[in-house]
Amino acid sequence: MTITQTHQAEAVRLAEVRRTFGTGDNAVAALDGVTLAFPTGTFTAVMGPSGSGKTTLLHCAAGLDRPTGGSVVVAGTDLGPLTEHALTLLRREAVGFVFQSFNLVSALTAEQNVALPLRLAGRRPDRARVLAGLAEVGLADRAGHRPSELSGGQQQRVAIARALVTRPAVLFADEPTGALDTGTSREVLGLLRATADRHGQTVIMVTHDPVAAAYADRVVFLADGRVADVLPALSAEAIATRMARLEA
Amino acid sequence: MSPLATIRQRWVSFVGTFVTLALGVALVASTLLVFLSATPAVPERLAGTAVLVRAGGTPWSPDALRDLTVRLAAVPGVTAVVPDHAFYAQLVVGGHPVGRPGVRDPQGHGWSVAGLAPYPLLDGRAPERDGELVVGRSAGLAPGAAVTVLTAAGPVPYTVTGTVDGPGLYVADAVAARHAGRVPLLGIRTAHVDLPAITAAVAGAGEVLSGDARSALEDDAVSGTREIGEQVLVAMVLLAVFSTVFVVASTFAFATNQRRREFGLLRAVGATPRQIRRAVYGEALGVGALAAAVGVLVGALAAPPLGTVLVDVGFEPPGFVTRVPAWPLGVAYVVGLAVAVLGAGSAARRAGAVGPVEALREATVDTRPMTRARWLCGGAATVLGAVLAVATPAAENEDLMLLSMLAAMALMVAMTLLAPVVIPPVVRALTWPLGRLAGATGTLARESSLTAVRRTASIAAPVIVTVGFAALILGQVATVSSAYRSRGTSAVAHESVVRPEGTPGLSDAVLAALPAGRSSAYTPTEVYVSGRSRVAAGVDPAAFRPATSSGSLADFGAPDTVVVVGGPDAAPPGVGDRLPVTFADGRTVTLRVVAVLDSSDEAELFVPRATVRAHDPSALTPLAYVDGVPLAELRATVAGLGATAVRGVDYESDSSARDDVLVRIFVLALIGLSVGYTGIAVANTLVMATAGRRRDFAVLRLSGGTVGQVLRSVAAESAMVVGIGAALGLAVAVAALLGVRAGLAQALGAPVALLVPWGTVGAVVAGCLALAVGASVLPARLALRRRAVALAGDRE
Repeated sequence: MTITQTHQAEAVRLAEVRRTFGTGDNAVAALDGVTLAFPTGTFTAVMGPSGSGKTTLLHCAAGLDRPTGGSVVVAGTDLGPLTEHALTLLRREAVGFVFQSFNLVSALTAEQNVALPLRLAGRRPDRARVLAGLAEVGLADRAGHRPSELSGGQQQRVAIARALVTRPAVLFADEPTGALDTGTSREVLGLLRATADRHGQTVIMVTHDPVAAAYADRVVFLADGRVADVLPALSAEAIATRMARLEA
Repeated sequence: MSPLATIRQRWVSFVGTFVTLALGVALVASTLLVFLSATPAVPERLAGTAVLVRAGGTPWSPDALRDLTVRLAAVPGVTAVVPDHAFYAQLVVGGHPVGRPGVRDPQGHGWSVAGLAPYPLLDGRAPERDGELVVGRSAGLAPGAAVTVLTAAGPVPYTVTGTVDGPGLYVADAVAARHAGRVPLLGIRTAHVDLPAITAAVAGAGEVLSGDARSALEDDAVSGTREIGEQVLVAMVLLAVFSTVFVVASTFAFATNQRRREFGLLRAVGATPRQIRRAVYGEALGVGALAAAVGVLVGALAAPPLGTVLVDVGFEPPGFVTRVPAWPLGVAYVVGLAVAVLGAGSAARRAGAVGPVEALREATVDTRPMTRARWLCGGAATVLGAVLAVATPAAENEDLMLLSMLAAMALMVAMTLLAPVVIPPVVRALTWPLGRLAGATGTLARESSLTAVRRTASIAAPVIVTVGFAALILGQVATVSSAYRSRGTSAVAHESVVRPEGTPGLSDAVLAALPAGRSSAYTPTEVYVSGRSRVAAGVDPAAFRPATSSGSLADFGAPDTVVVVGGPDAAPPGVGDRLPVTFADGRTVTLRVVAVLDSSDEAELFVPRATVRAHDPSALTPLAYVDGVPLAELRATVAGLGATAVRGVDYESDSSARDDVLVRIFVLALIGLSVGYTGIAVANTLVMATAGRRRDFAVLRLSGGTVGQVLRSVAAESAMVVGIGAALGLAVAVAALLGVRAGLAQALGAPVALLVPWGTVGAVVAGCLALAVGASVLPARLALRRRAVALAGDRE
């Protein structure tokens, strides 16, 4: 099933997506008619000033939040008509997440955390596959450790292994390096870049860090809930300049 | 997603649930065992007799008894028909009566009755004539000993002729017949049991009892005691189950709320709401399975000592033994699991409703503390509680307590469910002055209890229950006993009261010893007028001087005279009427009505005491009222006759002393139970809450707060929440008590004072306060031992 999905030309497609919070006079449009396509196998960074709607975009694209208007298609499936249950099943199959705070289940070991999505899907986790996933992120020797026994960078790498274990059509990352120091940030970003290069993994990453965005194939700039610009791979300096202009 | 892994990791949040469940299951298991062991048993003295016939309705007349005996003796296989001539008799040892004669087993019997147990003769020979007696071996007497036996007539000297292997006093059958005057029971000794033939021979003249049905002949005192015990046990189980569900629900709800991020994360990585619910239920079952196993074990071990305690305090009859079969333990185990799942139900539903985006939110502010289900259930519980409280006054006496208890329970559930709505305005109102002051402690306590409404509600809820129950139960007992005590006017109207000491009632010898003309006494006996049972009292005609509505007491005194009370009967007998009255011995006598009274607390009919004696020689007099004789002199007069004298004003409290002790034990047990339960809930919630606030504390420390300031604000917040819980609990209790007061006033036709023992209620509140402050300050102190910067970096 995942194989047919990866053959889609576009992993995620947003059309005229709107998302407003609150009602009446208090209504705020976080997304104001966003149309974007994320081709399969690309690594996209989403940037923008605070309040530009980048996190809302990520939530809507991932099926975590439902847009007020427009449509979201993930791996060829329109999310609009899906029930909460069906949406959960789709997320389980086609979507992986990496959060800023690593969000591992503290009661489970690294190996159990990675196997969690498989267990939730009712599948018997293939131990070799889980360990291979951990090896991929360089943590083969930490399988039995609990999150409290791992460093921040290691926890985030476990989170990436967990997000990739179902071989999702798209991997979403929300400020994955926000809680990490420069050195470990570089490791994590290198890892994301490598999954895109080696396995053709589609990656969508929200960040406000130009250095992080520089790892992507292209950068989407958001401002006031609209797409301000879409640029191909740039240097960190060029991105920072573009950002400074947006914030001005 | 293994529930066991979660339980291992988050054991703090499960400790409270575990302890509560284990305690609850232990209580249910041991109570169930005691309850089941306390089934009616065939009285030992009749155990060896397969078939017994009991008089139903009016007693057998001598003629009817003779005919019945002949008919039964003619049934093939019947070897003997033994009339149970039972009469009041008590051995006097060293001037004091010993033993516990009861209504159904008055200790004195004809010798042939010893064959019904059977109690074989151990030593000596059977009694044959007046003054001869066979006693139980336990009396420690040997044949030839001279003893005094107290009977309804007074002390009688006897010589022991033999001993039997069983309790009781046995005299020659003819002597017993004279003492008893009546036969309530026939024992049938048969070679083989032919029940249809015996039933045919009885022909509706009595009730044929065989097999387990013979347990209906159990001593009233034994069954009465057991009934009290059963009520206590049922109340304890009810309270235990209610509190357990309550505590499990509130701790689970709180723990779940603390784990919203975790559930959101699981939802984000692909868990369906159903999987989340199943996980929470799984945890509940995991904790429940372990806790119930521990509880069942503890319950099985605790049941026999509990039975012993219940015997010691008088809730179960002596000789009570707790049996421990396996199936009640299985029931208790299943109850434990069910309670765990029930308690986790709302938490599970709530956890399933957590959205995946929750994992990404940082703040722990309660955005939506009130769900629709909470509004609905809270509203329904409020209405139910209000309806019950309003309906309480109309209830009968026994239902009064139950209804008020249920009303209070419903209101407590309502308060708890609506706490997120009820508590913030109360907090704002109470702490408004604090916010005006410059001190950080008050402001912090106020704001944090307002922000985390659910935490505040979780801590207040058990306090509401504890204080509510304590005030309700204490108030019920105080109000009811004071209401009834103020009624006891007949004793207060007299200088002294002569009451039994070590005996079930006063003998004629006591009454005879009292100064004539200065005493009054009523000797009750059951009579039947046109087939209906009435209470008649034998009195001394010379001393009987109540106000009459018609007729004259001057004519009262001849054996065939009767004074009646003109009740609400359609056609009350009038003066000069002839009234056929059937007495305890089954004889029917036509009495002449000489006077009619308006009302009387003592009886419905009054006859000369000699008339009572002629038909019911074993009747005892409960009390005698005496005026104009010094108390010391009175005591000396009745000494050695199984009686003593007290002042009239002291009497009421004295007579209910045993009841008071029972009630006090009962109340203490219930309050101890509910305080214990809710204590666990308060402590557990606070420990969980405080552990989850380490980061808050760190921020306070980093902002320049001293350790003392942080601890003071934590203590202030706990104290404030306990205060609010106590106030709401008292409100619930007072609402329920007002219903009780109205009901009592209606029943007694007099105003009743609402009494709440504030001292004890205050102690309960103080206990909650100490517990809450301790359970929040200690974990906070532990958390603050680490350096603030390290704390701030802590992650969940």
